[in-house]
Amino acid sequence: MPVQAAVSKLLMRLLLLAVAGALGAALLLPVVLRGGVDAFYGRFASPAAGSLILGTSRAAQGIRPAVLAARLGGQFEGPLLNYAFTLTHSPYGTAYLASIRRKLRPDVRHGLFIVAVDPWSLSAAGRADTVTNEVFPEEKSFIGQLHEVSQSPNLAYLTRYQTKPLYRLPLDFATATERLHPDGWLEVNIGLDNAQVRARTARKLLDYQKLAATQHLSAGRFAALRQTIDFLKRHGRVVLVRLPVGQGLRALEQQYQPDFEQQMQQLSTDFAVSFFDYSAGPYATTDGNHLQKAASQQFSQQLANDLAR
Amino acid sequence: MLFNSLHFLVFFPLVVGLYYGLPPRWRGALLLLASYYFYMSWRAEYALLLLATTALDYYSGVRMSRLPDKRQRRPWLALSLISNLGTLFIFKYFNFFRDAAVALAGTLHLPVGAGPALGLLLPVGVSFYTFQSVGYIIDVYQGRLAAEQNFGRFALFVAFFPQLVAGPIERGGHMLPQFRREHDFDYGRIVSGLRLMAWGLFKKVVVADRLALLVNPVFNSPRQHPEGPLLVLATLAFTFQIYGDFSGYTDLARGAARVLGFDFNLNFRQPYQSASVPEFWRRWHISLSSWFRDYVYIPLGGSRVAPARAYFNLLAVFLISGLWHGANFTFVVWGGLHGLYLVLSTWARPAREWLAQRTGLAAHPGLRRGLGVAITFVLVAYAWIFFRANTLDDALFISRHLLTGWQLNGHQVATLLLDFSQHYRPELAVAAFAVGLMLAVEYFGSRHSPQAWVAAQPWATRWVGYVGLALLILYLGIFNSTSFIYFQF
Repeated sequence: MPVQAAVSKLLMRLLLLAVAGALGAALLLPVVLRGGVDAFYGRFASPAAGSLILGTSRAAQGIRPAVLAARLGGQFEGPLLNYAFTLTHSPYGTAYLASIRRKLRPDVRHGLFIVAVDPWSLSAAGRADTVTNEVFPEEKSFIGQLHEVSQSPNLAYLTRYQTKPLYRLPLDFATATERLHPDGWLEVNIGLDNAQVRARTARKLLDYQKLAATQHLSAGRFAALRQTIDFLKRHGRVVLVRLPVGQGLRALEQQYQPDFEQQMQQLSTDFAVSFFDYSAGPYATTDGNHLQKAASQQFSQQLANDLAR
Repeated sequence: MLFNSLHFLVFFPLVVGLYYGLPPRWRGALLLLASYYFYMSWRAEYALLLLATTALDYYSGVRMSRLPDKRQRRPWLALSLISNLGTLFIFKYFNFFRDAAVALAGTLHLPVGAGPALGLLLPVGVSFYTFQSVGYIIDVYQGRLAAEQNFGRFALFVAFFPQLVAGPIERGGHMLPQFRREHDFDYGRIVSGLRLMAWGLFKKVVVADRLALLVNPVFNSPRQHPEGPLLVLATLAFTFQIYGDFSGYTDLARGAARVLGFDFNLNFRQPYQSASVPEFWRRWHISLSSWFRDYVYIPLGGSRVAPARAYFNLLAVFLISGLWHGANFTFVVWGGLHGLYLVLSTWARPAREWLAQRTGLAAHPGLRRGLGVAITFVLVAYAWIFFRANTLDDALFISRHLLTGWQLNGHQVATLLLDFSQHYRPELAVAAFAVGLMLAVEYFGSRHSPQAWVAAQPWATRWVGYVGLALLILYLGIFNSTSFIYFQF
């Protein structure tokens, strides 16, 4: 076969294969476009926000923007987005603040900003008496590294941070154990019978006991929280919120940081913002740390009512 | 640059396009530039080290080629060996031997202070290209190979990107003539190379990287997983992971070379179908075992010496081979274990024959071979524990707990499997499917030529296969993994 003909044949075959591969990948497009990639992707594929809910997985699962929007209506600029991730990704710090700056529309003046606080989201690794340089691992995650946070499809996120094999996308979407809503609320559907909840609660408490033994309240994170509040105040109303947790975890938090509540009160006074402490609230959790789906509806309703006053 | 990266997906077609588009006399230069670019994508400054050792080996080879007498060539051989092995020692082994010496002095209560540790990063692939260069220089010294007079061609022999960082460790006699030849665009060969690359990619991203997700949590913190069944599962998974990873890398390397018109030697021949440990080493990492055979074992006297000396030779070769893999006692023990297996295998051969006659196994060669395959697999898998464990302590912990905690009820088995699959049940099924498919294809490959079989199929069948493999890689692949295991050596 002449060389030119062979080259053309090879290129045609490779093109065909590439088209077949692209068609195969395109089967996932409906899932990707609905934001059903993982528990985070949708927040980076939504448009820039006018109001934000911030914090870790407690806030991600516990505060529903739709409930607040329904109760508070046009009292703040929309869209209201739950931009809370996990303790690994979004503890308060300069990386999270930079990501918040990217996500918030710069022209917002009357936004609503729910800043969920707890001792863990203000802690860093190492015991207070031994740490010299604080390390903030989230700086190396998508929170610190992803610069385009309002793009659909978000190719930067999909190529760098989507870690699941592709076959899991439609499976996870179909089973919907975790479903990220377009407003950023993370719906989690897991077993809620007493035995399951008890086992999860015990395991979670153990995890947090380990954290308490190996972490300290971080001056760096505290300073970043102050900067975050300062920044958000220029764009609207800021409210500090401590979410409800189970009794065991609440006792551990009190033991880990007995002065935490006073520190938050002081912070709210310094910045003239409200502080709502619901930590002892009677809401059911899945594991002592995260509110159950029904409880998140009730809690969001109560939060909306308190914000409306 | 990894073979399974977007970077390589752009780099390789570009190199292939330019390679066949350029007049033949420029192609070598292109491949050399591409190879150094490939290497510099890890750490640019280490290309200088590669260039320096290449220049010294080239010069030593040329000087030796002008000396008719071996005795006269010896200083050049020594210079080259000292520079190659010295570099390897400084970058790879200095801290290891320093720490070992300090520990020994501490044990013996000797008042020896520790010198400073070297904070050097191990240049990727240094063990591979050093051994390739050393093989070349010994061949020239022995007069088995004419020294390469063209520096560019020699530099390409050392740095050729498909095999630069993890082999196969090629011989000058096999590669240098290929670099002298012109390679025309050959449709059939290119397609065959691409098929091999696709299969290698499957083994890497679908089999090995998936198994790594199951293996790593157990091997990285074995004390949190002291249950025997879980440790056995993780060990089995690693046994297939390392095969998928390394043979997958080799297929990618051989496929890439074939696309460019070059042939590398076979590095794996279905090693888990071996019926004895010696046979395993004739099928696993063939380029390294044959290197050790030709440049260490035979010069030591091989098996043509007194039995005790032959056993010593075997043990020594495998201890060195263990150390070649990594500056850690885990690798030394792994090599030592294989050395011991080989010594015992040789020593007990008459007893095995006697036993086979007495039990009647000798009359059933198929059954005897099957038994041999099973026993060899268990021995090899056990040795992998030392290869994979982060510390000798971890390896011993795993060894001690392999047979504990087997009294399980159904609920415990379910919990264990759930833990092992990272709480995502389909992963176990996908892993089993991927390993099964890999083994089935490899088994087929031991009896037929898969390439010839595929080429003989009607186009529709071939295309269903191609598209199916592409979709399997796309959908089941893990694309966020780090390096190939053997890149660290």
